[in-house]
Amino acid sequence: MRRTWVCFGTLFIGVLVLFVWTLVSGPVDVSLHDLAVAVFNPDKAEPFHTKIFWELRFPRAMAALLAGASLSVSGLCLQTVFRNPLCGPYVLGISSGASLGVALALLAGFGFGAFGVLGAASIGAILVTQVVLVLASRFKNASVLLVAGLLVGYFVNALVNVLIAGANAESLQAYVSWGLGGFTRLTFGAIPGFMAASIVGLVLVLFSMRYLNVVRMGDDFARGLGVAVRRSRIMVLLGSSILAGATTAYCGPVAFIGIAVPHLAFMVFRTTNHRILLPGVSLCGAFLALLAGLFPVSIPLNAVLSIVGVPVILYVLLKGSNRGGAL
Amino acid sequence: MSVILEAMALQFGYTAGNPFARAFDFTLESGEVVALMGENGCGKSTLLKTFAGMLRPVAGCVTIQGRDVHDREKGYTLQGLSKQVTLMRMNMEAPDRMTVQEFVSLGRTPYAGVLDGRSAEDDAIIEQSMECLDVKRFANRAVCELSDGERTRVYLAEAIAQSVNVLLLDEPNAFLDIPRSHALFRTLRSLAASRGMGIVVSTHSVEYALRYADRIMVIDGGDVKVAAAGSAEQSGLLDWARAD
Repeated sequence: MRRTWVCFGTLFIGVLVLFVWTLVSGPVDVSLHDLAVAVFNPDKAEPFHTKIFWELRFPRAMAALLAGASLSVSGLCLQTVFRNPLCGPYVLGISSGASLGVALALLAGFGFGAFGVLGAASIGAILVTQVVLVLASRFKNASVLLVAGLLVGYFVNALVNVLIAGANAESLQAYVSWGLGGFTRLTFGAIPGFMAASIVGLVLVLFSMRYLNVVRMGDDFARGLGVAVRRSRIMVLLGSSILAGATTAYCGPVAFIGIAVPHLAFMVFRTTNHRILLPGVSLCGAFLALLAGLFPVSIPLNAVLSIVGVPVILYVLLKGSNRGGAL
Repeated sequence: MSVILEAMALQFGYTAGNPFARAFDFTLESGEVVALMGENGCGKSTLLKTFAGMLRPVAGCVTIQGRDVHDREKGYTLQGLSKQVTLMRMNMEAPDRMTVQEFVSLGRTPYAGVLDGRSAEDDAIIEQSMECLDVKRFANRAVCELSDGERTRVYLAEAIAQSVNVLLLDEPNAFLDIPRSHALFRTLRSLAASRGMGIVVSTHSVEYALRYADRIMVIDGGDVKVAAAGSAEQSGLLDWARAD
């Protein structure tokens, strides 16, 4: 128990430090003092510094924080619900579904009303989750689900490519820059939207805590412990889709955080209790995303994350094969 | 002794027109161990699932302390039911990475709030359940690394932690050697006596049934028959099990 609190404390301080570091670092040299003046005493500050802080640095830090936490929680939930250690929003094609929504909004000009890109991405993610859920109920074999998820991802990406072929240069440029993935796209005005979507997703997941803790032993076992399986599963998957969809809408497709962080969090906290794991993965994910975001903008975010994520997943596969297979 | 579980004109099975056996009545009293026997495929597991409220009966009803276990409106809610009855099955997948302590703690899920916390009372019951089945020594080991005998005891500790009145077990000694099977049935006897639980345990072993059960229930040729363990052989209840 004490170990858990030490881990939480260390991670929390780590996230805090990286958050501040993200605020201070950037292509333009602004000293910590100048930033502090820009935040706490904007009247005396250089307008240039205030602008850099509120329009660039702060949104970037918030994007990394929310994206890291959201994708990790989404990945953990998917791994738990599908009882498969290699699930994640990217692997199952849920991020691709969100991309399709964004492509429809940016390339084909579907307005989606007041929803905009966020709504389009969330709807895309939820739709693909539905498809994956139907496939999962048909195939009991865990690796078939992963292959099916990849196929759905390819299919959706093909649809996106068709949309790209018919798009004009201007909207194409917007889509391509979004498609690289990164934390620099979030604007100050979009922060409340991203936060609200993350909170809604998180609440849906948190209210299914009892389900998440018992579902690994199967639906019958969960029902035997008084858990409403159907309702909880819908809530968790809806929450996971919203979390993954919102992140994809604001930061583009971000790989590997969703699949790798739950395993990192397990190595840190050594428990299967989601009361500890959910805050645990949020902190680990935020930490990793903030760290990855600190690399120079010229290196694509997804390259940095792949370099960290691939070894973790290979480790999971190797460890699983020692014990009769992670699949 | 008082009646805990009661089945009235019960017909059980998966399809409406095709029940496993003719309608029968059955009562389970507190502190009683009933052995459920019969050939493979005769419907033992199905009957246990019906008793547990997990499978609707074809006809008739099952009540625990007077309330229906299948009717969610007039009878128990799912959560209420999980405080009354549990069905322990050995074919559950051993959860990856989960420790014994964590697994036994799942038994308190019906008593937890939305965020699945555990009170001091819950923790005490978890400790007590682990001590009762002698699994506390390996409380921090992963369930999937245990031997079958250890795993059986852990599953039983989890069921005990659920604090139910009716304990149903589906072939708990399927993976156990002879001494451990005896130990398991002795544990069931003492649980029935000390906690006033009603226990129905399905088994293929006539020896254990005769030695440890109060009554024997047999599903044979479309009939469900029940007799006291002492008179089971005389009344021809175990004829189906003879080798000749």
